[in-house]
Amino acid sequence: MFSYPTVRASFLFLAIACVGLVFADIAITTVNPWRDLGRFFLGVVTPDFFSTEGLATAILRTVAFAFTGVTLGSVAGFLLALVYRWRVVRMFSAFIRAIHELFWALIFLQFFGFHPLTGVLAIAIPYAGIFAKVYSEILDEADQEPLRLLPPGTGVISAFLYARVPDVWDRIRTYTSYRLECGMRSSAILGFVGLPTIGFYLEASFSQGLYSEAGALLILFYVLIATIPWWVKPKLLPVYIIGAPFFLGEGLPIVWGNVTRFFTQDIVPAPIRNDESWAELGLWFSDLMFNEALPGLWNTVVLTQIALVFTGLLALLAFPLISSHFGGPVRRVSGHVFLVVVRSTPEYILAYILLQLWGPSMLPAVVALALHNGGIIGHLIGRQTSMIRLRSDASVGLNRYTFELIPRVYRSFLAFLFYRWEIIMRETAILGILGVATLGFYIDSAIQNIRFDRAMVLILITALLNIGIDALSRFIRGRLALKTMPTC
Amino acid sequence: MTGIELSEITASFGGERVLGPLSFAVTPGEQVALVGKSGAGKSTLMRLIYQQSNGGATLIPQDLGLVHALPVFHNVYMAQLNRHPTWYNVCTLVRPFQRERREIMPLLEQLGINEKQWAPVASLSGGQRQRVAIARALYRNSGMLLADEPVSALDGPMAHTVMALLQESYQTSIVALHDIELALRYSHRIIGIQDGRIALDEPSARLSEADILPLY
Amino acid sequence: MMNHLIKNTVLALAGIVISTTPVLAETFVFTAIPDEDETKLVERFQGVADYLSEELNVDVRYIPVKSYAAAVSAFRNNQVQLAWFGGLSGVQARRLVPGSEAIAQGEEDAAFRTYFIAHKSTGLEPMDELNPDVKGETFTFGSKGSTSGRLMPEFYIRETFGAAPDEVFSRVGYSGNHTRTLRLVEAGTYGVGALNFQVWEKELEDGSINADDVQVIWKTPTYPDYQWTIRGDVDEKFGDGFKAKVREALLSLDDKALLESFPRTSFIPASNDDYEPIRKVAEQIGILD
Repeated sequence: MFSYPTVRASFLFLAIACVGLVFADIAITTVNPWRDLGRFFLGVVTPDFFSTEGLATAILRTVAFAFTGVTLGSVAGFLLALVYRWRVVRMFSAFIRAIHELFWALIFLQFFGFHPLTGVLAIAIPYAGIFAKVYSEILDEADQEPLRLLPPGTGVISAFLYARVPDVWDRIRTYTSYRLECGMRSSAILGFVGLPTIGFYLEASFSQGLYSEAGALLILFYVLIATIPWWVKPKLLPVYIIGAPFFLGEGLPIVWGNVTRFFTQDIVPAPIRNDESWAELGLWFSDLMFNEALPGLWNTVVLTQIALVFTGLLALLAFPLISSHFGGPVRRVSGHVFLVVVRSTPEYILAYILLQLWGPSMLPAVVALALHNGGIIGHLIGRQTSMIRLRSDASVGLNRYTFELIPRVYRSFLAFLFYRWEIIMRETAILGILGVATLGFYIDSAIQNIRFDRAMVLILITALLNIGIDALSRFIRGRLALKTMPTC
Repeated sequence: MTGIELSEITASFGGERVLGPLSFAVTPGEQVALVGKSGAGKSTLMRLIYQQSNGGATLIPQDLGLVHALPVFHNVYMAQLNRHPTWYNVCTLVRPFQRERREIMPLLEQLGINEKQWAPVASLSGGQRQRVAIARALYRNSGMLLADEPVSALDGPMAHTVMALLQESYQTSIVALHDIELALRYSHRIIGIQDGRIALDEPSARLSEADILPLY
Repeated sequence: MMNHLIKNTVLALAGIVISTTPVLAETFVFTAIPDEDETKLVERFQGVADYLSEELNVDVRYIPVKSYAAAVSAFRNNQVQLAWFGGLSGVQARRLVPGSEAIAQGEEDAAFRTYFIAHKSTGLEPMDELNPDVKGETFTFGSKGSTSGRLMPEFYIRETFGAAPDEVFSRVGYSGNHTRTLRLVEAGTYGVGALNFQVWEKELEDGSINADDVQVIWKTPTYPDYQWTIRGDVDEKFGDGFKAKVREALLSLDDKALLESFPRTSFIPASNDDYEPIRKVAEQIGILD
């Protein structure tokens, strides 16, 4: 079995995670973790839909920010995709998508403040980077023949609109609407830093232990996501897109002087800003590196590797829940419900809930990341196995799982897992804001201390780490000849 | 009117020569049929000739090169994209102008696909798609036609109608044909390809089916 | 198909431009550091907004924020003109906004304290001096930017043990606010925590502390804390003497229920200099450059 490169790679990653576990800070520090968990579930089954008058507004704002942000992102991403063959554009796109929506929001908050633009750009910018990459891949796969047959002298734009776009339009549309669902999740968590979306109220209810209120918000959010196919229709899309910007709320007016100040003063390293010596700058930088960046990097990497392996394990355990090769309809329906819930809940919210219940350590983060990402991969793999037709005398139960299905889906399973590696890393960094000592923790601390110079350096480091992991993941996928489709 | 002259052209695929070296010239006003069994190198030759024409010729490739998501009308209109400014093309994409509708409609009528004018190509049958590609070639109306098995999916009478239409609109043409009868009837000259080389090159009038059959 | 795309894009962009044009209403906006449960804050400061609106004859709006830094940034960015800050956030804000001024503080704020509290499972008992028994416990601060929840307790931990908090305790967390610190220690998520003494006293009075599970083990010496800070340029925007009017309104606030919600007995005058000790401590710890 070890002669398969895919198996060797799997065990290598398993080994790395085991080593990581030795160094990781895994613990339940709460005296009575199950009591709170019980209270939480009690809250979810006894939702209180009438406690906050803000509930409807929260839903409206969540949708409005998602639509506006994703629309802007897709338009910008499409334009970038047109010039994606330029190296500088590829690098720019990789960079903007390497920074998580929440970090973008934290940056914009510093100079736009609580203006709707903060939330819109926080979604639009990283999404533009992702759209640029995926759109350009889709465009590259368009049939080239019609383009070759055009009469000489056809304008570039005409050629593009007639011979290139129509062929891939369906895939662009499918991907964009898929991304819209991702946008809802992004929009929801922006509330955690103060924008008026669901996350804002969720944070307030949770932190006060109002679990019935939190339960109501979560249920509404699941319903919102699960019903997307019914209320987002191609015909209605223009209405939503045009309407969305008007429902972002007022926020506070932008003071443009703040924008200039942010870029010309705030993010300039303090020693330079205060005209101190180069030696001071060196001290400043080494202090930042050794006391914040390196510990943050270490924790981020350790947590990512552990979460990656647990994600894989969970996906392998979860896919039979919805696979047509196991169990009856009742099991499959409940399996679907479970997977819909875990994959619709943003990792950030899961981690937030678990941190409340189990206390601070890497454990809640690992479980949150594994649940969410494992849910996504488990869903995709489960769907894939349902399309496999087994011979009628195929073995059943565990033998069916190990001999018939796993060998057939293992490659695409690994492809999804490696694809999500970079996504898990991005989320890991973000979870630092909740108190796990990853890069996000130090970024949040710097911002809380109004030291944007430090925050920017740390965000830059986080972005570079992400780009590195992305490249590594692509290299490994290339070596193992794994192909996959983009997920979020 | 343009012709074409090829000298010592070759083509290789995966390090193996699949065509040539071969040379021949087609003078303006000459209608050539290219015959030979499949895999002999006809399609490759077609591509090379098209490349040499720098897009000046009209090509109907074997796989037709249609944009499946666009309606029949727009696929035909694409043959004249270069004659209009960009804004005009963009408007046409949204809502075609009367002028082009009047131009394209008769072509589609002749080919029996006028009812499908606004249907996306993806919804058409193989034979209907082939006729769309032919309508596009007719609408393009450049000096020279290169067609690779343009009637392979059409039934007898329609195949003749199409060949006649093509012959009428293009004085100069090179048409690869599988059907020997059609080749003899709709060309001045027949070039037979075998194993990537020219095995036969005679005026059609001097040939009979029996002369061509050995190529297959 | 394409026409829809283009049309939609143009309109959506236009929509954004329209909606981002600042509204030029002369509304006096203020915020407060989110040091307690949000419901309480909204209730308390909505009361203040109504009161000020009546006293000042302008529209007054309260904006809730999610972090101390967000409060400071909003003040600095002139999106709010007045703020109820803690000692540290006030110092940060006034450093960043030249001309801004501390105008009033609660009577209790001149001599504020932090309480160290412990869960019963730690076996810790009240102590006169912070003593080494607390070493090795798990410990939570409040917000990273809090004076009573972070700055002062960290200062005394460092002073007593000569080491950073994460060297003294086995695990250090930041709960986010004082109520959360109380709840987390009460639940035993953390063994020890540090919080604003006023929050403790009020919760105790309201009967919402389970005294069997958690108790105060140490009280810090006093230091100056919360204050109202106003931007220097409000007179230009709202007319001469506006700052004085705001100060007057705050000092003369005598609505018992409203004061009780802070909880403060009354507001008294304050000045920037009152907070010098806080600035020094912050610099010493390395929170301020």
